[in-house]
Amino acid sequence: MQDDGILTAEQAALLKDSLDRQSVHDQAEIRGSSRKARNNVARWAIALLLAVSVVVFFVLVSGSGVEPQAPQDVAATLNDPGGTGQMNKSFSGILAIALFLIVPLLLWMWLHNSLVTKEETVFESWAQVESNLERRADLIPALVETVSRYLRHESETLTTVTAQRSDANLEAALNELIAAQKSSADIIGEDGPDIVENDADLARLFAAQQRIGQRMQSFLAVAENYPELRSSDQFLELQAQLEGTENRINVARMRFNESVGDYNAAIRRLPASLIASAGGFGRKAYFQADAESQEAPDLAFD
Amino acid sequence: MRSISLCLLYAALVAACTSSSQNDDRLVIDEASLLNTAQRARVALFHGLLLSDFDIDYRVVTSKETDDIDRYAVTRFAELGTGTSSTTSRGLLLVIDPVQDRVRLEVGYALEGTYPDAFVAYVEQRQMVPFFKAGRVADGILATTELIVSRAQDATKNAGLDSEVQLDGSGGAGATTAARLGAGNDTVYTDIEVSGGRSPAETLKKYFEAMQQRNANPSLDIYTPATQRMMKDWVMTPAQMDNVVNSYRRCHAESARYDTRRRYAVIRYPVSERQCSPWFFETVDGTWALDLTMMQRAIRFGRDNSWHFERGANHPYNFAFDDWAFDASGFPRE
Repeated sequence: MQDDGILTAEQAALLKDSLDRQSVHDQAEIRGSSRKARNNVARWAIALLLAVSVVVFFVLVSGSGVEPQAPQDVAATLNDPGGTGQMNKSFSGILAIALFLIVPLLLWMWLHNSLVTKEETVFESWAQVESNLERRADLIPALVETVSRYLRHESETLTTVTAQRSDANLEAALNELIAAQKSSADIIGEDGPDIVENDADLARLFAAQQRIGQRMQSFLAVAENYPELRSSDQFLELQAQLEGTENRINVARMRFNESVGDYNAAIRRLPASLIASAGGFGRKAYFQADAESQEAPDLAFD
Repeated sequence: MRSISLCLLYAALVAACTSSSQNDDRLVIDEASLLNTAQRARVALFHGLLLSDFDIDYRVVTSKETDDIDRYAVTRFAELGTGTSSTTSRGLLLVIDPVQDRVRLEVGYALEGTYPDAFVAYVEQRQMVPFFKAGRVADGILATTELIVSRAQDATKNAGLDSEVQLDGSGGAGATTAARLGAGNDTVYTDIEVSGGRSPAETLKKYFEAMQQRNANPSLDIYTPATQRMMKDWVMTPAQMDNVVNSYRRCHAESARYDTRRRYAVIRYPVSERQCSPWFFETVDGTWALDLTMMQRAIRFGRDNSWHFERGANHPYNFAFDDWAFDASGFPRE
């Protein structure tokens, strides 16, 4: 530029001097930035090292320390035929915590479900009892109809005093049977399915059922005096059905009481009793006579 | 070689006998010793057929220690696994207690629809007990099995047996009756006289009427003298009489066929009505009388109640079947 006459020699010398200084500055600046970068890397490396140290420290603390890692020792990795092995201690620690939480939870679930199953068995067996009680209730009108038809037929053919007195006995026995059946139906109607929770109500129902059985026996005893009625196929059929239903009721009652006994014992045993009280599993009543009625004689029938 | 074959055959026979004996012990448990070996085997045989034909597992237990026979039957039913030999859980258990003099037929859940309590009470009272009274325990059991088979056949025809629920165990269904073992035959015959008919058809009609009235009197004039003598030793149960009336209600009789001298006659049914066996008649004092002795000698019934002739049985009624062919077992063919 000096040769072209754009700059004077003095100006050119100043420019050269300035450019030389700029170059030195740039080089210094480059060197400085490079040092900065190295410093950053070092800082990151220290931070990473610290982080790893912290992790290792926590692992050591939580896992009671990690055993120093030896250089690969092939012999150590071979299975020891007589040994039981040793689990990684950090893993066993975590497993211990998990077991501490999960096992009781599983146990609680198992006990709860087992109580639910036993309670459902009680309800199912009670449904069987009720179904058989209804079956008997349905048979009694048929019995009434058969006997009434027979009595109507007899009153048309026999008019003697003895016959009329016998008919009155048969009719009275039948009426008592109907009354006992009504009383039993009323108790079931009052309490509904909750009856299995109540000792007194179930004992009352049991007493009512006993009365029906007694009235039935009493009725059949009176019917013995009517050979024609007793030997009729229709009466025999009804009698067989009634006796069959009576037996079904006894079997269902026996199974219900067994399931109640099983359930009641379960809710009293530890640790299920804790779950039972927390889960609202109440004691169930037995379908049997209460102590008082067992001792009191039934004076109405001999 | 021959000795090896004989040994194998012997081993197979021993195995078959052992298996058969085990089967008998499973089906008939005679703790009260009411049956002899032959009777136990016979009952087991028929009950085995009931299992193979209708998938009904029918066990018999006699015991002197039932205490409460109803409860005992339910418990024993479960203990013995009654119904487990059936693929459809069909189980029946007959319990006889000679000490309590009670008999109970416990019906499993899977058969409650086919054998309702009323039917069970009926077969016990009207079929089994009359034999028990005569001291014929095995016959009483088998006569009851006959009605159970008959009921199963009807149920199979009406798809009733297959529509039953398949549920194990029993819930107290069935019936209990006084067994009256060895009480003696106290049947009081009705005093209704039934004279022989002027034609075989009339005599047969009178016979069905007598059966309908459950008139088991063996001295009726509708029977030949030989039949009357034979029937004196028979146990004629109300259920058998009912069965005669009910089973022939569905049969369509052909006209009577006579022999050339008109001494013998036969009323038969079409071959297709295989459960309607023919009737034999003989003239007695100018009327026609039923010849049940010859019928008993000549006619047999298969497991499905189809009748066939006993091969080689000698009787004078062959003239009525000249137009029919019979197979090797004596079953008629058209």
